[in-house]
This record gives sequence, structure tokens and C-alpha cells, in this order.
Amino acid sequence: MDLFARNDGEHYVCGLIDGPCQIEGLDRWVQDPAHGAIAQFSGVVRNHNEGLSAAAVDYDVHPELALKALGELCQELCTNYPVKLVMIHSRGLVRVGEASVVIAASSAHRKDSLGAVSEAIDQLKIRVPIWKKEIGPDDEQRWLDGHSLRKD
Amino acid sequence: MTSITVHCLGAFRALGDSLVVDVDDVSVASIRAAVSSSLVARGRADLNTVLTRSVFAEGDELLKDHATVSGSEVSLLPPVAGG
Repeated sequence: MDLFARNDGEHYVCGLIDGPCQIEGLDRWVQDPAHGAIAQFSGVVRNHNEGLSAAAVDYDVHPELALKALGELCQELCTNYPVKLVMIHSRGLVRVGEASVVIAASSAHRKDSLGAVSEAIDQLKIRVPIWKKEIGPDDEQRWLDGHSLRKD
Repeated sequence: MTSITVHCLGAFRALGDSLVVDVDDVSVASIRAAVSSSLVARGRADLNTVLTRSVFAEGDELLKDHATVSGSEVSLLPPVAGG
């Protein structure tokens, strides 16, 4: 994958990519001879949301802040779970059936990699400065509501 | 008066990539108030509900309303919705 922004830690890689995420070979990013489990998650654009049809999602990103938030999240996850981790998110247009986010984690045993991946996607949705503009089949567009980052 | 360029993201892209507001002081609270007035002036008072739940950032730092900005550019981040 050709990432336009990337943050490499000791046990993780995170980054941003223009267009859909290509998931082929993602497991190789986290392979480790000491790890017997690899868990992967792909978030895929679906054709409906909140009762409306959807054709695509256009992702807006603040690259600097998003990469910082992804890096902090990866660091936390690698502290809480003994895993190797990769998280990639899209910027721009992603059509129905295409992946907008891919996450993979490896660990010695499955519980840690499964836990890390689940927590990764939960936290990404509420912490990383990324926004969705949903595009309908007739090109109607709407920004989706999300989680406020405001602390005061 | 100080001019602050506010970079628009997410739902605020409807206003363009950025807007410029003039403020008496460079506190985030003042910038927020100026943006709110600008939304009304532009006929987008509806975005004030989003603005209330939005946060400003300078560089890679999120700012609370009591903070002051050191430069002349900030980003306006509506509630996030990645994934």
C-alpha cells in the first residue's frame, strides 16, 4: 500500500492512504515467528445507512492530527496488549464494497490480537480526526455526525 | 483586531477550505464566537449546533476555549466519524 502519511513505532505501523485500502498481504506486516495468532479487521463501505441508500463515502482527514492520534492509539494498544499492530485508514472516495480501514494484529495467543483489533476500531471511531461524507446513488451528499473531541 | 484563518474540515467544508475571522483577542473562545457570527452572516446558522460540539486545533494540538493561539491559523474539527 502506498501510504501518504505513515508513523512507525517499535511494534506498530499506522498510516493514511488515498482511496480504498488494499488489504492483500496485510498479515505480512505483523508476522512474527513468536506469534501464533493474526487477527484482521476490514471496515467496508456498505450500501445503506440510517435508512438511506449509499453509493460511496468521501473521507475527509486532518493528516497531521489523524496520524498523531493513530500513533497514540497504536502506542496505547501495544502497551496494553503484547501485539504487533498495523492500522491504515483511507482519505477520499471509497465506494460500496471497498475497505476504508484495515487493522491487523498478531500475538502469541489469539486473545490479545482479537482484543487489540476490537479496541482499535472502537477507539479509532471516536478519537481520530476523520470525517465521512456519505454519497447517495443520485449523488446526494450528507456529512455524518460523530464523536466530539471537545473537552471543555 | 487580529485576523485568524480557520481551516474548515468535515461539515464545515460547506463554507470552503477556510474562512477568515477578525478577533479582538486570540483566545479560542473569541475565535469560536467570531466563527459563530460568520456562520449566521453566511446563512449557515444551522452549523452552529455542530460548532458547539467542535474543537479548534493549532498544528497538531487540540485547544480548549481558554487557550490562546500563537499563530494566525487554526483548524476547526467537527465531531469525528472515521471507520
